[in-house]
Amino acid sequence: MVKKRSPIAQQALDFYLQQAQQIAQTSQNPFLSKVRQQAQERFVEQAFPTAKDEDWKYSKLSGFLAQHFSQQGISQPVANWQAWMPSFPVIKLVWVDGHFCETLSDELSQLPAGVLLESFADALQANTELGGLFANQDTVLAEPFASLNSMLFQDGMVLEVAANVTLSLPIFVLHLQTQPLHHSVLRQRVSVGENAEVTLIERYVSLQSQGAGCVNVVTEIELGKHARVQQILLQEQNRDSFYFNNQFIYQAEASQFTTFYGAIGSQLSRHQNHLFMDGEQIENQQNSACIGLGAQTVDSRTCTHHNQAKGFSRQLHKFVLEDQAIGVFDGMIRVDQQAQKTDGQMDNKNLLLSDFAKMNTKPKLEIYADDVKCSHGSASGQIDKNQIFYLQARGIHKADALRMITQAFLLEPAEVVRQEPIRRWVMERLALALQQTHLP
Amino acid sequence: MLLNIENLQAQIDEKVILKGLNLQVNAGEVHAIMGPNGAGKSTLASVLAGREDYEVSAGAVDFDGEDLLALDPEERARKGLFLAFQYPVEIPGVSNKLFMQTAVNAVRQERGLPALDMFDFDEFAKERIALLEMRADLLERSVNVGFSGGEKKRNDIFQMALLEPKLCIMDETDSGLDIDALRLVANGVNALRSPQRSFIVVTHYQRLLDYIKPDHVHVLYDGRIIKSGGFELALELEKNGYDEIIQQYQNA
Repeated sequence: MVKKRSPIAQQALDFYLQQAQQIAQTSQNPFLSKVRQQAQERFVEQAFPTAKDEDWKYSKLSGFLAQHFSQQGISQPVANWQAWMPSFPVIKLVWVDGHFCETLSDELSQLPAGVLLESFADALQANTELGGLFANQDTVLAEPFASLNSMLFQDGMVLEVAANVTLSLPIFVLHLQTQPLHHSVLRQRVSVGENAEVTLIERYVSLQSQGAGCVNVVTEIELGKHARVQQILLQEQNRDSFYFNNQFIYQAEASQFTTFYGAIGSQLSRHQNHLFMDGEQIENQQNSACIGLGAQTVDSRTCTHHNQAKGFSRQLHKFVLEDQAIGVFDGMIRVDQQAQKTDGQMDNKNLLLSDFAKMNTKPKLEIYADDVKCSHGSASGQIDKNQIFYLQARGIHKADALRMITQAFLLEPAEVVRQEPIRRWVMERLALALQQTHLP
Repeated sequence: MLLNIENLQAQIDEKVILKGLNLQVNAGEVHAIMGPNGAGKSTLASVLAGREDYEVSAGAVDFDGEDLLALDPEERARKGLFLAFQYPVEIPGVSNKLFMQTAVNAVRQERGLPALDMFDFDEFAKERIALLEMRADLLERSVNVGFSGGEKKRNDIFQMALLEPKLCIMDETDSGLDIDALRLVANGVNALRSPQRSFIVVTHYQRLLDYIKPDHVHVLYDGRIIKSGGFELALELEKNGYDEIIQQYQNA
């Protein structure tokens, strides 16, 4: 069925198809050409979702469609990159406008044994056989912005951690946008071998304080048996920008995955986890802390597939919304018929600081097994007057009380970050972002 | 005189609850306010602490030379008024340590004392925890989250020990406590009694007063104090109930 499109949506579609064709012309690899061709076909069917599509009802794309984001353009020099670095030691990797920047990154040949890291562009060059990089395309192409990504991407990251390797330093990936109207289309593929362990931190920032840029990410993370992966993402683009991230996580038996997403910036941001628990005794935790101010739309969503027995999943998603901001949470826990003894829990809690802020939340359970323990819940409200009075009654000023309660509310999901310096760093970023609110 | 309440009248929404209440408390005294349900006991505690829901329509309250009713709740706390809550509030994510360090330093600022840093505060807090025989991990926990009823009340007493107030108002502290928890809370309060510190103990039952011996007992009914006496008044109430005193008052 051909989708009916508004003239603006049609123009945007034509623009991105044209970009895709330019890219396709440069590609020599027939496999890659096929991947892109397939993506393009799906994208034409999908583009662009409107408010009539249930999954896009509250994340309106009109702002995105009104501007055309191009991958062409010349990156601005990055002078002050240190300002974006944390104070704890990391392995640093920098992408500028969607392209790997060797000069700003740590020396790749110095990585610990068992760790292979290359830019996605290099991985495409090096491999004639690309099947492994695109093994899950059928799943990926279910999402319109992942289809758009698949037809446009040129660079990104490939990270492989060999079996039994424990990386003591976190890998810190810094994504910088330097120009307005630029489209950073990133493809990330992380595979972590049996019993290996890694912490991955990703930070998305705009160097300019205004002017819309767009980041479109597809990340695939594969965990081998007993592998342990912790992921921390901070999205801090300027408030004109757009952010779309589709993460596909595939867990093997007895692996442990933790992800924390902090949403601070962007006009419209949409972060999605598609998590597949493809073995027994898998554990995972997916948390997010989202701040929406002004006219921001902040969308955080998860789809967790309990496919095998004895899986354990936990989620906590919190939103603080002010002004006319819109928050969207959508979470699905799907328990397959054979996933007996599943233990799944999903919580969404929201604090509305103004009368005009709006929260749309949809926690969902779909259970086909009969011996499971699953729960989901959502609550939205204002700051409890009794809490404020309790602090006041101990001598704390009302303004400080409001700030203390709001901050404590928002930071709770970040408690999942295991290493104290990283946790503190994440919490500082979120606390700083809260200072932008109109709390007295 | 530490506290002088004159003709206090207060209402919530349109409902008048305090109808001209008078009470004088000197430094070091313990006053018990007793009364049947709905007499206005908790309203009195809330109005003195400055809860916004109540509107004071008449009367005056002098606290240590200041017009109490003109002060914000936090200013009252800084000047040495402490309310132990009937239902202490849970505040997820705020640790007792952060909460009480902020509060203690707010009070110290008022008294012209330098702020306590993390280490000095820790030492001070640990000493009080030991005095009240409380759990050592109290400081690290979120305020009242996951606490039993007794633990919540004791946490309030712990806060009282840290803030060193001049006047402590205990709002039905005994409600919902079993006898062991009641004894622990009372022991905490007794440890904090001093010639400079006064207490107003609001309670429905006499049993709390077996542990915290008041100097004065007042019966509150229909928004007024209708009878005052010594500890023997509490014993009389325990024996005969409120009815007789209320009858006498209504016939007078």
